[in-house]
Amino acid sequence: MTKRKTAAPKKQSGPSSHRHTHGQGHCVGLLRQLSAYIDDELPSDICREIRRHLGACPNCEVFIASLQQTVTLCRHRPAPQLTSVDRMNMRHAILDAANAR
Amino acid sequence: MRATAPKTPSQRPAMQEPDGFDRLYRDHVDLIYRYAHRLCGETESAKDLVQETFLNAYRGLKDFRGKSQVSTWLYTIASRACIRMRRKRKGQPEHELSLEEFVPTSEGEFRLQIPVDGLTPEEALQNKELRQALEQAIDKLPNKYRMALVLRDMEGLSAKEVGTIMGVNERAVKSRLHRARLFVRRELSARGVIHHDDHKSGGLRS
Repeated sequence: MTKRKTAAPKKQSGPSSHRHTHGQGHCVGLLRQLSAYIDDELPSDICREIRRHLGACPNCEVFIASLQQTVTLCRHRPAPQLTSVDRMNMRHAILDAANAR
Repeated sequence: MRATAPKTPSQRPAMQEPDGFDRLYRDHVDLIYRYAHRLCGETESAKDLVQETFLNAYRGLKDFRGKSQVSTWLYTIASRACIRMRRKRKGQPEHELSLEEFVPTSEGEFRLQIPVDGLTPEEALQNKELRQALEQAIDKLPNKYRMALVLRDMEGLSAKEVGTIMGVNERAVKSRLHRARLFVRRELSARGVIHHDDHKSGGLRS
């Protein structure tokens, strides 16, 4: 599996001086960047800004946690295996179809 | 998890030897079946997709120039075949997912949760209801969003590789992936709320 960094939201320690404008531009703007944040693709200054916002906005913090959980569940979704009989039967069917023309 | 598979262009001549197709099939059938099952969500369609993919690969083997990895070439064939098969089956045009539809409009909507706290992903997915909800949410996604999600988050490919397979740039891949994740999150969390009390009082129902 490709190595992935999973960036969980971190609370900023200490009181935040960030002025929170929940329900307006900040939260919506954050929502647009959450996947890039989770995938650790954003520049460090934007990550800092997001962490500051999350520290001041419980709603966004819950939202990003649930998005992170979604990604984690997708990454762990089990996939069934083929049996050796299935592999053999499909190979025969493919070659039959290929030679039928 | 990605299977070990021949990847280098230098393997092209080997693929075109008399037993080239057998090698190609043997080395990649499990990889393509897993991808097909994740895309189709059920066994028979996944097997049909695998057969269609390798039939097309068989026919195209002589033209394969080795410009991409063999696995990327097969993922591309499988993705195109999947779109054709689903279009035939469902017969309806794809709809776009708009980011605006995922912007929560109320505090309650913002705070919807997925009932997995304290569980490992493997433990959470033991729960039949959650597993089915995840599968249904993925199945409901329009093709291009589902493919981006499966290739990136389940097959573990880079955005660049996914772009090569889907014929779009990285930016488009990231946009589709983000919308797909938001869609699945909304589907799962909406269900999670229904049973939130069950979870608090002793875990998920299985």
